[in-house]
Amino acid sequence: MRFRYPVLLTTLVVILMVGLLVGGCGNSTEQTGADGKTLSIVIDSIPDRKAEADAIAGYLREIGVDAEVRVWEWNTLRESILAGERQVYTSDWGSATFDPYDLAVPKLKTDDRGNFSFYSNSEVDALLMQGSTGFTEEARYEAYVQAQQLIHEDAPWIFGYYKDSIEAASIKVQNWEPSMDTRINLHNVALTEGDTIVVGLRSDKILTLDPANYRDRETETVIRNIYDGLVTRTPDGEVVPELAKSWTNPEPTVYEFVLRDDVYFHNGQKMTADDVVFTFERIMAPDGIDGMPSPRLGLLGPLESVEKIDDYQVRFTLSESFPVFLQLLVHTQIVPKDYVEEVGAKGLAENPVGTGPYKYVSGRLDDQIVLERFDGYYGGSPDLKKSGKEPVKKVIFKNMPEPSTRVSALLAGEVHIIQMVPEDLAPRLEADPRVNVMTAEGTRVYGLEFNTAKEPFDDVRVRQAINYAVNWDEILTELYQGRAHRLSTAFLPSGFGYDPDLEPYSYNPEKAKELLREAGYRVND
Amino acid sequence: MKKIKVLERILATIPLMLGVAILVFVFMRMLPGDPVDIMMGDSLATEAEMSMIRESMGLDEPFGSQLLSFLGGILKGDLGNSYMFNAPVKDVILRALPATIELALAAIVIALLLGVPIGILSAVKRNSWLDRITMGWAFLGISMPAFWLGLVLIILFGVNWGLLPTQGRLDHFVELKTITGIYTLDSILTGNLEAFKSSVRHLLLPGFTLGANLMAIVARVVRSSMIEVLEQDYVTLARAKGLVEWAVVTKHALRNALIPVITVVGLQVGVLLGGNMIVEQVFSWPGLGRLVVDAIYGRDYPLVQGAVMLYALTFVVANLIVDILYTNLNPKIEL
Repeated sequence: MRFRYPVLLTTLVVILMVGLLVGGCGNSTEQTGADGKTLSIVIDSIPDRKAEADAIAGYLREIGVDAEVRVWEWNTLRESILAGERQVYTSDWGSATFDPYDLAVPKLKTDDRGNFSFYSNSEVDALLMQGSTGFTEEARYEAYVQAQQLIHEDAPWIFGYYKDSIEAASIKVQNWEPSMDTRINLHNVALTEGDTIVVGLRSDKILTLDPANYRDRETETVIRNIYDGLVTRTPDGEVVPELAKSWTNPEPTVYEFVLRDDVYFHNGQKMTADDVVFTFERIMAPDGIDGMPSPRLGLLGPLESVEKIDDYQVRFTLSESFPVFLQLLVHTQIVPKDYVEEVGAKGLAENPVGTGPYKYVSGRLDDQIVLERFDGYYGGSPDLKKSGKEPVKKVIFKNMPEPSTRVSALLAGEVHIIQMVPEDLAPRLEADPRVNVMTAEGTRVYGLEFNTAKEPFDDVRVRQAINYAVNWDEILTELYQGRAHRLSTAFLPSGFGYDPDLEPYSYNPEKAKELLREAGYRVND
Repeated sequence: MKKIKVLERILATIPLMLGVAILVFVFMRMLPGDPVDIMMGDSLATEAEMSMIRESMGLDEPFGSQLLSFLGGILKGDLGNSYMFNAPVKDVILRALPATIELALAAIVIALLLGVPIGILSAVKRNSWLDRITMGWAFLGISMPAFWLGLVLIILFGVNWGLLPTQGRLDHFVELKTITGIYTLDSILTGNLEAFKSSVRHLLLPGFTLGANLMAIVARVVRSSMIEVLEQDYVTLARAKGLVEWAVVTKHALRNALIPVITVVGLQVGVLLGGNMIVEQVFSWPGLGRLVVDAIYGRDYPLVQGAVMLYALTFVVANLIVDILYTNLNPKIEL
């Protein structure tokens, strides 16, 4: 009996070594056969989209592509993507300006910040620039439409979809609707019962209550109930006046705003042009936030200077024509000059004072923020739909990162509005008479990007083939309950310059096989 | 003698903590991902803007000098600034810690209140159907994932029966002046009965979820050590003196049977404080665990470093306290 163990051990070692040799040959092997080589790829996915990546791999295997899926934490994956070590990967990118300026441009312009596909087409670059900085709307639109056609043809991604953003509220909440920019403006919302409204945010934490010192949407949701900006948006993305009464654009690089003269800060001080100038200069200064730079500089575009014309007029001068300026301006909230100079950025973050509909009471950034109605409020933008009733007295924003907890808390009556309901939990809420489920068009593009700089995806035929091989309609129905919508490129229908006539790649496995054969790969018959 | 031993142990934690600090520092920086890039997300940002921020955080300095200034900071009691919150790590941790401590204490109390009687009962009624059922439950308690248990409890007690709150620490209509940040304690200190009731109600579900595992362990430990103790001569003697059985069990046997329980609970304190990320997430409990996970995803190096050092310290201190208690309960054992 004794000899058996060495034999067993040797066998094991041999098996292991063979396994290592075979398995260790890298992630992309191409086996050459009589009629070409098999295309062998690895799809790298984030955990949330594994099912989707698996489904895509399934479609690819059907036509004879050897596809495998691996899962990574996003920031880890991102670094290896940027190092050029990955082949095809899930990615998503949100747009806040309703313009490709912060979506297609960073994603697809050569070497831009979000260009994970290493896509580079000088013609597209020129068109994107023309689209985002052109003088006339027509010229911009035309440029964007042309860019879409080229991008579609070049297929640097497996073009994907955008999702509905699903939110829900108790039926006690009146005149509330989800905004495309995820703002929850509580000034215009009323309650049929009670005087406190509790909002379940999707986040873990609010970063700060200083409007010049953060870069995420949830923080903005809270901040914009405390502070107002010169302009704001309607729920479907149109820019309308808020603290500004009106504006003119006398030259492409100059904007002049007339301010309201009935606006007070929560500390009783009247808002004037000085506060507006101060707010912007604070973001532009390299040491504006208690000696540190503001992370919101990029949201000012090519803004060069802000000057006071008189107490209620301000002039903005840009270094170049920049049509997205008003859309970006929505994201800067006005702070009181005297107060901030007195207490500093830290003081402002701890005891925020704005011109918004609610003033700060108490809170902890990683727990909840409690606000109460500001009775000196000027009434907000005249262009937003009003509830016609008195706004609620008290507002609580609660960080509730777990989606099923948000849903449960809404059903249990503990919160009134919740952000981001997952697709699979929406039917349950819809079936409940105590709850209204509402959707806004999402502003985030989901897709899978190819590494177009390397084999095999440096070949446009291979990229197109993969696009033809995936049955997106099935994926979107099965995995996202039909609450996600196909995109033909990386442009959103809600954004400027979208071409509605450009059809997405159809599901056409035959065409996919043909293209792969052409590119020299073996496919299934 | 014992005092010196305790002092020795306390001093030994200093190099240990330093080692932990260096390890976390190195590991965090080995993680792929750039904090500034993550902070800016997919919003508009230029390379110049990002390098300006990187510089203001000191991230542009070489690795070695970053480590040195971190270690130098620790010696001065300064853990640096959290990238995410742009505030001192110490403040960020201290404001989240009370919620975590309160939850851990609730879990321990619930685990002991349920686990000890269950353990005694199964020991006394050994091999009966009661014993099998309770031990079966205990087994379930060990194997049940907190995430699942928490959601089930929320749906049953919160949504379906409306008996207990599903999330948070206090009803929104209850006012409480915070002193320590531990709400139950604060409400007692301020004599606020309404807040006390509210905070206890909010503790029940997350406390049970977090404590379920410990409860099962306690029940099993109590059962086995109780069985052993009940067979000792002095217990037989107590019975022979004609004492009623419950008195024998509670007065004579229990005290000795509880010694191993202290070890178990003591060792679990660290786990409860550091391992409650999931429970905090499920119950929207604003504690440290949730914050740390978030800090790891955001590559908030200083915050993760500070929190992990705190966790390490908790383990060390809990172990030390257990050892001291142990020698007090059983003088035969030395530190």
